[in-house]
Amino acid sequence: MMATPATEYFLGWAPAIVPTVSANQGPDAAETFVRALYAEHGRSVLAYATRLTGDRAAAEDVVQETLVRAWKHADDLDQSKGSVRGWLLTVARNLVTDRARARAARPVEVADVVDRPPVERDHSEAVVNTMVVLGALDQVSPEHREVLVELYYRGRSVAEAAKELGVPPGTVKSRTYYALRAVRAVLAGHNGEVAR
Amino acid sequence: MSEHDYSQLGAYALGALDPVESREVDEHLATCAECRAELAELEEMKEFLGEVPPEAFLDGPPDDGDLLLQRTLREVRETPARKSRWKPWLLAAAAVVVVAGVLGGGVLIGRQTVEQADAPVPGSKVVTAADATTGATMTTTVEPREGWAWIKVQITGLKPGDECVMLVTDKAGKTWTAGSWLISDKAAHDGSRFGGGVLVPPDQVKSVEIKTVQGKHVVTTTV
Ligand SMILES: [Zn+2]
Repeated sequence: MMATPATEYFLGWAPAIVPTVSANQGPDAAETFVRALYAEHGRSVLAYATRLTGDRAAAEDVVQETLVRAWKHADDLDQSKGSVRGWLLTVARNLVTDRARARAARPVEVADVVDRPPVERDHSEAVVNTMVVLGALDQVSPEHREVLVELYYRGRSVAEAAKELGVPPGTVKSRTYYALRAVRAVLAGHNGEVAR
Repeated sequence: MSEHDYSQLGAYALGALDPVESREVDEHLATCAECRAELAELEEMKEFLGEVPPEAFLDGPPDDGDLLLQRTLREVRETPARKSRWKPWLLAAAAVVVVAGVLGGGVLIGRQTVEQADAPVPGSKVVTAADATTGATMTTTVEPREGWAWIKVQITGLKPGDECVMLVTDKAGKTWTAGSWLISDKAAHDGSRFGGGVLVPPDQVKSVEIKTVQGKHVVTTTV
């Protein structure tokens, strides 16, 4: 009973949060599933792919392939919003990388290679990285998430964020501090004290 | 900033202070090991935030994307969904490795977690139930997390090769899948342990049921 294999052991910090979504079967389910993902995440994934490829048409191909993969993995994807988006963004990024690599390696066969993307298994760790962080950002308070988005992801200064959010600069600063602590606490699976 | 002022350090770590404030913090940091240690932890989080691209915070469908949606739907209608039992679990396991690494203790933290895992965290509820029909006995521990619950089970009386799914029902009647796993020979003999997280507040967890992937009931504990 003691020496349980690692894969079977529970893991105290795993943030996999998995609500059940009813059976994903048949063309109607496929359509509903893809439409829902597209409506919620389409803009995010397309904008990201467009930045990475520098090309809207190529980015659309990447989004299409990402959504098809999401459908193939529908069972795995019944998760919190942050994690689903993290999954989609990472798969999109990896598709862009794979395609660039394929082009560099075999310029003559680009068309063939692009039609046959590599197997999915290689990207799981990176998928988890983005999923984990986005999942954590979903779990901190909206005020905390908001200051991190403004200061870190939008690159705004404290003064700019204060104006944008309508709070004093001192509040932006202290919220930023507590936001970073909160993210750390969520990642550690505790409320306060975390392992150092 | 002549005294400790942690509240400046978050914005400092993210590079969002103005040059004057930033200089003041620099000067204080030069003389204060405590604040340097605090800053190091905040910068670790900043690196972690870097895993997420800024586009992650855009919502809704793309502009002018209808053709894209239509051709994606065409492709997807012809693509069967692949049934996967193992992937969620693999993702969860990998997530732990990543988190442990980021929090600085790497392997050490991971190992401590496993060793300490037998001691329920404060506020946990532990319930045991047996199923006379299937012969399975399960001890369930509901561990509180911030707004969600971590469910650990220990089950005896399973058969080798059983493919199990953990289902958690909340008080509103919604059922959540908390993961699936395979019973090894050893686990059938010695007892099987498994754990999974659900986005249900700990006091809202009503029951935990184990079923086989084929849909056969194994055992239920009511919390
Ligand atoms: Zn100090």
